[in-house]
Amino acid sequence: MSHTNESGFETDEQLTDEQLFGHLAEDDIVSLSRRERFERILDAYFLAPGRVAWDDWRTRIGILVVTLFVFFGTIGPRLVTPPATNQAPNNLQPFDGGVAALWEEGGWIDIGVDHQLSMGPISVPGIDIRYPLGADNYGTPIGRNLIHATPDMLEMVVAGAIVSVGLAAIFGITAGYKGGKTDEFLMYITDIVMTMPGLPLLIVIVAIWSPRQAWLIGVVLAIDAWPGLARALRSQVLTLREESYVEASRTMGLPSRTILARDISPQLMPYILINFANAGRQVVFGSVALYFLGVLPLTTANWGIMMDTAYSEAHALVNLSNFYQIFWPMAAVVVLSFGLILFAQGMDRVFNPRIRARHAKKVGSDEEQIN
Amino acid sequence: MTRTETELEITHDDRSSHDVILEVRDVDVTFDMERGTSRVLDGVRFDVHRDEMLGIVGESGSGKSMFASALLNAVVDPGQTSGEIIYHPPDGEPVDVLSLSESQLERFRWEEISMVFQGAMSSFNPTMKIREHFEETIRAHGEDIEERMEHGWQLLADLYLDPERVFDSYPHELSGGMKQRTLIALSLILEPKVLVMDEPTAALDLLMQRSIMSLLGNLQEEYDLTIVFITHDLPLVAGLADRLAVMYAFEFVEYGPSEQVIRDAAHPYTRALLKSVPSVDASLEDMHPIEGESPDPVDAPSGCSYHPRCPLATVECTQADPDYHEFSEERGAACFHWEQSGDEIEYALGVDPDEFPESTAAFESEEETVVSLDDVDVHFEQTGLIDELFGKESVVRAVNDVSIELRENEVVALVGESGCGKTTLGKTVIGLQEPTAGSVSYRGQDVWEAKAGSGDYEFDDIRRALQIVHQDPGSSLNSSRTVRASLSAPLKRWRPDLGPSDRETVIYNLLKRVGMKPPEDYAARFPHQLSGGEKQRVVLVRALLMSPDLILADEAVSALDVSLRVEMMDLMLDLQEMFDTSYLFISHDFSNARYLTEKSDGRIGIMYLGNLVEIGPAQEIIHDPKHPYTKVLRWATPPLDPDEAKEANATDPPIREIDIPDPTDPPSGCPFQTRCPDAREVCTREVPELQDTEGAARVACFREDDDHEYWASEPVESDTVSLKTESKAD
Repeated sequence: MSHTNESGFETDEQLTDEQLFGHLAEDDIVSLSRRERFERILDAYFLAPGRVAWDDWRTRIGILVVTLFVFFGTIGPRLVTPPATNQAPNNLQPFDGGVAALWEEGGWIDIGVDHQLSMGPISVPGIDIRYPLGADNYGTPIGRNLIHATPDMLEMVVAGAIVSVGLAAIFGITAGYKGGKTDEFLMYITDIVMTMPGLPLLIVIVAIWSPRQAWLIGVVLAIDAWPGLARALRSQVLTLREESYVEASRTMGLPSRTILARDISPQLMPYILINFANAGRQVVFGSVALYFLGVLPLTTANWGIMMDTAYSEAHALVNLSNFYQIFWPMAAVVVLSFGLILFAQGMDRVFNPRIRARHAKKVGSDEEQIN
Repeated sequence: MTRTETELEITHDDRSSHDVILEVRDVDVTFDMERGTSRVLDGVRFDVHRDEMLGIVGESGSGKSMFASALLNAVVDPGQTSGEIIYHPPDGEPVDVLSLSESQLERFRWEEISMVFQGAMSSFNPTMKIREHFEETIRAHGEDIEERMEHGWQLLADLYLDPERVFDSYPHELSGGMKQRTLIALSLILEPKVLVMDEPTAALDLLMQRSIMSLLGNLQEEYDLTIVFITHDLPLVAGLADRLAVMYAFEFVEYGPSEQVIRDAAHPYTRALLKSVPSVDASLEDMHPIEGESPDPVDAPSGCSYHPRCPLATVECTQADPDYHEFSEERGAACFHWEQSGDEIEYALGVDPDEFPESTAAFESEEETVVSLDDVDVHFEQTGLIDELFGKESVVRAVNDVSIELRENEVVALVGESGCGKTTLGKTVIGLQEPTAGSVSYRGQDVWEAKAGSGDYEFDDIRRALQIVHQDPGSSLNSSRTVRASLSAPLKRWRPDLGPSDRETVIYNLLKRVGMKPPEDYAARFPHQLSGGEKQRVVLVRALLMSPDLILADEAVSALDVSLRVEMMDLMLDLQEMFDTSYLFISHDFSNARYLTEKSDGRIGIMYLGNLVEIGPAQEIIHDPKHPYTKVLRWATPPLDPDEAKEANATDPPIREIDIPDPTDPPSGCPFQTRCPDAREVCTREVPELQDTEGAARVACFREDDDHEYWASEPVESDTVSLKTESKAD
């Protein structure tokens, strides 16, 4: 265990092992097996945060909602027949036949041995569900439409949120920590982007390129969403970098990336996460709004297009018997954004060491110290 | 000797001699918390006498601030106050403060009892001039503005402030000490009968603290005030308070006339506290920390709350809460074993200052120099764009032409008032702050050249060799990383050859070594699960794991409880031997600096306005200060011994002005000439250099040179400050 000293200090050596270890008794030497280390890492980074997250009802609901949407966005389209016009009767009301359909033949649900529900490769005997959410003026089933719109929607949300929060984090944290010329330059760009009017810019970009891939639409929607967050993150980093423990890390000669990753980012995570959820919501709202306005090209199934159709073809806001046509896509948008917000709020606790300590398996005593 | 009751009853007064102004009866303050009920005042029973200065002493978390809030019925929500606090006005019916309505309370506070908090900085609205603060207060209480402002004028003048200037200033234009004094004047503007002060001077310098204390004494006599002074700093109040009350674990454990309490404390806690307080006059061998920690308000120990830490504890103590044993009308201690405490826990107050071993005349060390500073200046420009347009320039000269050498295994303490540039100098020494002029070298290699890549040594090695321990243990550890993770970082960076098991071994052994057992348990904790002292130990260990040559300890013990400071300093010295390192210890407190340096034969440097004015062996600086400023600091450090304290109170501070000059506009010539009692005409022209003296110290004062033209120069005439408190007839 010899340490070679290349720099050639004669008087100044690294701590000798003698100094570091002292005279140890045999039982003082700690040996850690690979397994113990693995368990410790697992507990610190996965199990404890998981327990904290699950302990909070907000996260629990948020996780359920998000999982549900992810399920619909990944497996859903494989199980549900793609929507097409005239698959169902025109203007079919949701839950056709009402509660009575449960025991009567016909209506939206049938139960009995001679019925069976086939969803893609799976078939469930004894039950049959037909267009539970109704159909629009052209006989397109709304439920199928919603589910087949979900994958694109999720792609958009994730791409948009990652790009906007990612850009904000890179710009804000680097500018705040590095300071000086780097800071000036990065904030210069941020300010320029900030002053650009968002919606007109979007319309122009969309008109020129007319993006068809969902992720691209997400990125375009997020393109002007990051400067505010970048500014906010920068100001937080400016105060954090003066904290004693950051200075101590600098004095220890730790590289900047370690300091940023270990000392600064964790303090910012609650803020970044809630903004991540928020950015996701913005993308949902933005895309729905742009589809509704007809700015984005009408390509595939989309909640915005569904709302547009419901509004312009079925006059869902005037003719209340058609209100269900606009209600379902709206509900999808609201529930998804609600789930994202709850999830982000709950995750706040994961980054709070006080709460995490209470849930970690190997943290000494639970009592907090009163100072 | 075992105490007898008669012995302590010498000063038995009759009941009528003390007119009670505040009667506190069985007051509880509780907070409902997630993990139980937190009882931060536990059945407190106490009387405050009219026209006395009562000093309440306790460590942080002992409930002393809660007591202050309870006196004004100002416990913040969701705290619940129960019991009775009866206020006896000079004329009229007694009132129960706790049953007053909100509007009655508004009148009651400020007109009958007023309070001064610690944070003077945040007590003023930064957008309002001081005059408006005064007027607003007077108006809110419907008093005559002109008459009251007259009174305010008088108060400010009494507090050595220029009333005209202060009234027309915005809060940011006043220094911390001036603000605190203004706040005292503001709280007295409606002539309250009682003034409650909660650590009013903790954020200030020694000299300012001491000056304010003396001024308080004057105010008390002039305006017939009852002052309740709450502090963690026993020596500060010891000399001035008429009575002392000691708080521990949310109740009073002992009270009595201050001289009696200090000379012959009866409660084991008071005795242990007196023993643990670092002071300038007690002998070093006599200072011992109190073992253990203060109890948790949610889960206080049964019986006597001190029994887990008490050497005298018996079974009785663990079962029953002792009542006050009243030695006399005005003296009591809540302990079963008050008779034995005197024999079991011995302490001595003050040693004769003349009895110090002569230090070797020429202080020469054989050890190699680790870091040396050569004529270093650090100036900060405060010029903004707008100032530049108007041609205004303001440069803060934080460090001015300082040269200093730090040798191996040496302890050097820098002492000075806040804003004197000691922290900036410290950071310059360890290469965190680039000097504007002069050079900083590490073993002969210029640090900043090495950083630029043109030196012989790798900058990384210099970086590793110079480490820091910060003041606030709360913010010097990353709150989201465990102790293990924090301590692994330096090892991972500098000893990549060590495997995880080796790292674990090192960390566990060091934790054990600094008394954090069991180490497996502590290593897995997050910082919030550690007490202040434990955090500071982890920080120290982290710095030492870098194998540094020099550690900058920036007020490293100031944030700790008084009873833990000695322990922490002992630990620092203990680890110094183990790791072969030097310390640069920065402190505003003479007693801490003295403890650390005298124990390790180190040096003390005194800084004033960015200049190093005196440096030399600890004993010489403490017992034979030469520079006039060092003498002032020495005056400002109160001795514990009641006789000496009284004597010190009776002498005027050797100073002409209380406030430090504006650092952006330093005086010409000697920086201290504006306040120096011995200043002569030449001092306003020429800057003295550090020069050798008869002793081992080096002093920047013309008075040390017998042939200097100083002696022929005209004295600068002006009055010295008079803070003399009349010795009271007890």
